[in-house]
Amino acid sequence: MLLLQLLINGLVTGSALGIIAISFSLAYSTTRIFHVAHAGIYTLAGYVAYALEKSGAPDIVGLLAAMAICAVAGALIQSELYARLAQRRASHLAVLIASLGLLAVIQNFLASVFTPNILPFGSAWRGRTLSFGGVTLTEVQIATLVICLAVFPCSLWFTRRTVLGKQIRAVASNPFLAEITALRPQRTFVIVMAIASAMVAIPGALVAFDFGVQPYDGTTVLLTATIAVIAGGIGSLTGAFLMAMLISVLQNLSLLVISGEWSVGVTFLIFLVFMLFRPRGLFTRR
Amino acid sequence: MSLLELRDVTAGYGAKLVISDVSLTLAAGEIVALLGHNGAGKTTTLKTIMGLLPARSGAVSLMDQDVSSLATPGRIKLGLRLLPEGRGIFPDLSVADNIEAVAAQNCKGGDLFGPAEVYQLLPVLDERRTTIAGTMSGGQQQMLALSLALLGRPHCLMLDEPSIGLAPNLVERMFDQLRSLSRSHGLGTLLVEQNVAAAMRVADRVIIMNSGKIVFSGTPDGARAAGVWHYF
Repeated sequence: MLLLQLLINGLVTGSALGIIAISFSLAYSTTRIFHVAHAGIYTLAGYVAYALEKSGAPDIVGLLAAMAICAVAGALIQSELYARLAQRRASHLAVLIASLGLLAVIQNFLASVFTPNILPFGSAWRGRTLSFGGVTLTEVQIATLVICLAVFPCSLWFTRRTVLGKQIRAVASNPFLAEITALRPQRTFVIVMAIASAMVAIPGALVAFDFGVQPYDGTTVLLTATIAVIAGGIGSLTGAFLMAMLISVLQNLSLLVISGEWSVGVTFLIFLVFMLFRPRGLFTRR
Repeated sequence: MSLLELRDVTAGYGAKLVISDVSLTLAAGEIVALLGHNGAGKTTTLKTIMGLLPARSGAVSLMDQDVSSLATPGRIKLGLRLLPEGRGIFPDLSVADNIEAVAAQNCKGGDLFGPAEVYQLLPVLDERRTTIAGTMSGGQQQMLALSLALLGRPHCLMLDEPSIGLAPNLVERMFDQLRSLSRSHGLGTLLVEQNVAAAMRVADRVIIMNSGKIVFSGTPDGARAAGVWHYF
C-alpha cells in the first residue's frame, strides 16, 4: 500500500513539475535564453496567492491572479531585460548571469516583504482528504493532479494546432526567417514569456496551497525541471512532461529504500546515467 | 514606375563599410541578376534593402516611397520579400504549418498568393503538406522557401543564391518558374547568384558588383560582350 501511496504522491508532484518543465521548455526553445529567473516567477505565484488568501479572497481568485501577475512579470522580463540585452549583443553567459541576478532580486524582495520563513495557507481544503483504494490525498493534491494533467494536453494543442502556437514554433525553428516574414520574433518572445510565466504560476500557486510559501524553494524545483527538459529532449513538451513525471515518481519511490534527504542526489545520479546513454534526450527533435 | 530604387546607398557592419554608392532600379515584371564573387557585397545589398542593416547614407525606395527609415515588417507590408540563402524554411514545422504561420501574418485579403494559390502553383507542396519541412529534399525545401516568400501581396522578390545545392535541371525549372511568375504577376525579381550562366540566361538585366561597388550594369548580352568574367 505504501508503494501505491508513494506512486500516487509522485504523480501529483510530477504533474506539477511537468508543467514547470514544459513552461521552461517553451520559453527556452523559443528564446534560447536559459531563463533561471523562471524559478522566481514560480515563487512569486505562490506569494501572490498567499497575499490574496490573507486578504480574504478565495484560492481560485489567488490562482487566477497569480497567473495574470506572473504573465505580466514574464512579459516585462523579456521586453525590459532580455530584449535590451539582446539589442546590446550580450553573450549567452551575460544573459544567464542577468537571469540569475534577477532570480536573487525576486527571492530577496519576497523574503524582505514576507519574511524568509515558510508561510502556510490557512484554507480548509488543504487539510481535507479523500481516501480510495488505500491511498489518501488532500483535496489540494487532487486539484493539482487534475489541473496539471489538463494543462499538459492544452499546451500541446496550443502549440500544435493554433496559429499563434505555429508562429511560436516557427520563430523557434528559424528566427532569421521569422524576422523577414514579418513574424516579429521580439514580439513573439514577449508573448511566449507571458504564456510560460502564466503556466508556471499554476503549479506555483497549487504547490503553495499544499506546502505554503518559502522564498528560496523555487531554485531546486526549477533545476529538477530543467533536468526533465534536457532528458526529455530539448524542444519536446511531451518529453519534458513525461520525464518530470518519471523523475518525481522515482524520487518518491526511492523513499522505500533510502532516506528522503538523498532523493535529490538519486535524481541527479539517474540523470547522469541516462544522459550517458541518451545524450540528446528521450524525444529528440529532428 | 520602379518597384525598387537604391540611390547611392552605403552600408556595412560596425566600422567596416561593405557597400558604397550602390544605385540600382528594378521595374515590374523584370528580373535583374546581381552578380559578383564572394564578399562583393551582394547579400549586404539585399539586407540593406530589407531593412536588416541600416543604410549609412543614400536612400532606398519601394513603390516610389522612401523606406530608408522603415523597419523590416513595414517593408514586407509594402510587398518586399527576401528568400534567404539556405535557410528559407522553418525546418521543424510541417509544410502546411510553415505556410499557415506565414500566411496568417502576410495574407490579409486581396492577396496575390494565399495558401491555395501556392499549393496550386507548387503541387509538390500540396502532396507533402504533413511532411516535416527539414526532412524534404533540397529542391522541395527551396520550393517551400519560394512559396513562403510569395505569400501575401509581393511586388519585389529578392532571392539570395536560390540555386545553391540544387541539381542543374532543378535550377533550370525553378528559374523558368521565376520568369513566368515575373511576367504573369508583374513581380520584380532581384536575383543574387553564384551560378552566373544560369542567372544570365533568365535575367533581363545584369548588375555586377566588385568590392562593394557596382562595376557593370546592362543586358546579359552586353555583359558577355564586355568580358566581365574576371569578376567571378
